[in-house]
Amino acid sequence: MRIVSLRFVYATLIGLVLAGIVHIAAVLAIPILSEKDAVSRARTSESLDHPQPIYTVATGDDPSPPEAWLPIPDPAVAVGVCAYDLADGPMRVSARTGALSLSLAAHARRGAFYAVTDQAAVRGALDLVILTRAQYDEALADDDENDPSRDVRIVAPDTRGFVVVRVIAGLPSQRPAANAAIQAVSCTTDSATDDAPTGKDAAGKGGGR
Amino acid sequence: MRDAIPAPGGYAGASEKAPRRSVFRLVRHLWRKSSIAGLAVYALALGGALGLASADWATRGGYPFGGVQIGAWTAWPRASAANADPYTRAVNARRGEIPLAVGEGLLLTASADDSGQALDATCTYRIGGGTPPARAWTITVAGRGPREPGRAILREGFTSTEVLRSTDGRFAILLAPDVQPGNWLPSPRASGPVRLALRLYDTPAAASVGSLDRTSVPAITRLGCAS
Repeated sequence: MRIVSLRFVYATLIGLVLAGIVHIAAVLAIPILSEKDAVSRARTSESLDHPQPIYTVATGDDPSPPEAWLPIPDPAVAVGVCAYDLADGPMRVSARTGALSLSLAAHARRGAFYAVTDQAAVRGALDLVILTRAQYDEALADDDENDPSRDVRIVAPDTRGFVVVRVIAGLPSQRPAANAAIQAVSCTTDSATDDAPTGKDAAGKGGGR
Repeated sequence: MRDAIPAPGGYAGASEKAPRRSVFRLVRHLWRKSSIAGLAVYALALGGALGLASADWATRGGYPFGGVQIGAWTAWPRASAANADPYTRAVNARRGEIPLAVGEGLLLTASADDSGQALDATCTYRIGGGTPPARAWTITVAGRGPREPGRAILREGFTSTEVLRSTDGRFAILLAPDVQPGNWLPSPRASGPVRLALRLYDTPAAASVGSLDRTSVPAITRLGCAS
């Protein structure tokens, strides 16, 4: 009887150690396996050339549409996402500053890696280019010395991710403008530079611009 | 801390005495028959069930770690950082949340008032004072769980632009179930716990949360309860 209960204690201890291992493995695996995370859900916006609105602020009697999947959205902030897949080429996000404050943040699976607000805009324009390390080196090599590019170039840690656009409507009367400002941002896949060896492919993909 | 993790499938959880004894006898019988294999199965089942259940419980709902307590508020500066802890990343992945990045803003939440009592929808609270420097901020209130159907949403929050201020630039919001003069924030539901969220946009405080103290965030004072 005593041996049996000792064995039982050992088995329980092993079970608890296993539980710890399973717990750690499960917590680490959730972000990788999740199909409901923001990167996976944003993927439907990959083919669009403007952000997909994921939270449009309520205007007048129109409540926020139910497709909003942000768990606790800010009722005064319109949110849109542009998913990117850098395998298709660098992603260019262009925003024009307006009366409402706007912010852009680039996220990958691990989290945000870059964020900027419209206060960083140069002459009312904010141009973000998200690229891989190889695309960045290529862009640097192709730079015209006499006409340096004014783009903000950000090297992404992953090929897949999304850029989230937030526009704050300080007053209820600014809410339609905030929803429109999200749509006014453009997210396009940059075709490779014209004189690059992939020029033909880029011209073929011209429809995406 | 949370240590009361239910052991699913564990026979120790049975409440009645007789079934427990019969299960115990059955298990003892199984040990005698095939002790090593039975114990291995038992250990694997215990480990798997307990590990998965505890992982599910730890990543359900809010972030378990990473908050910085400032008075009644908790700031979440690292919620979307690439070097956030694995639990925060798992919570974000499960909810599809896109938290504010450090360069965008800072989220602060409160579920209790300044004296530590949980916020309740039947009570009246005064949320007042100043906020840390920010280009814009919003204070919103929400109940737990889904919205009550059929309840009209009068107002969910205030923004820094629309809030009424006194001459010194400070503000006072009244969170109450009944109509109040000034900045009235209606309780989001008839009863139950509520949560406040203060979102600071484009704020230098996001990068230096340690510099904030309880005088720089709005105070939450309980004025009375209807009960």
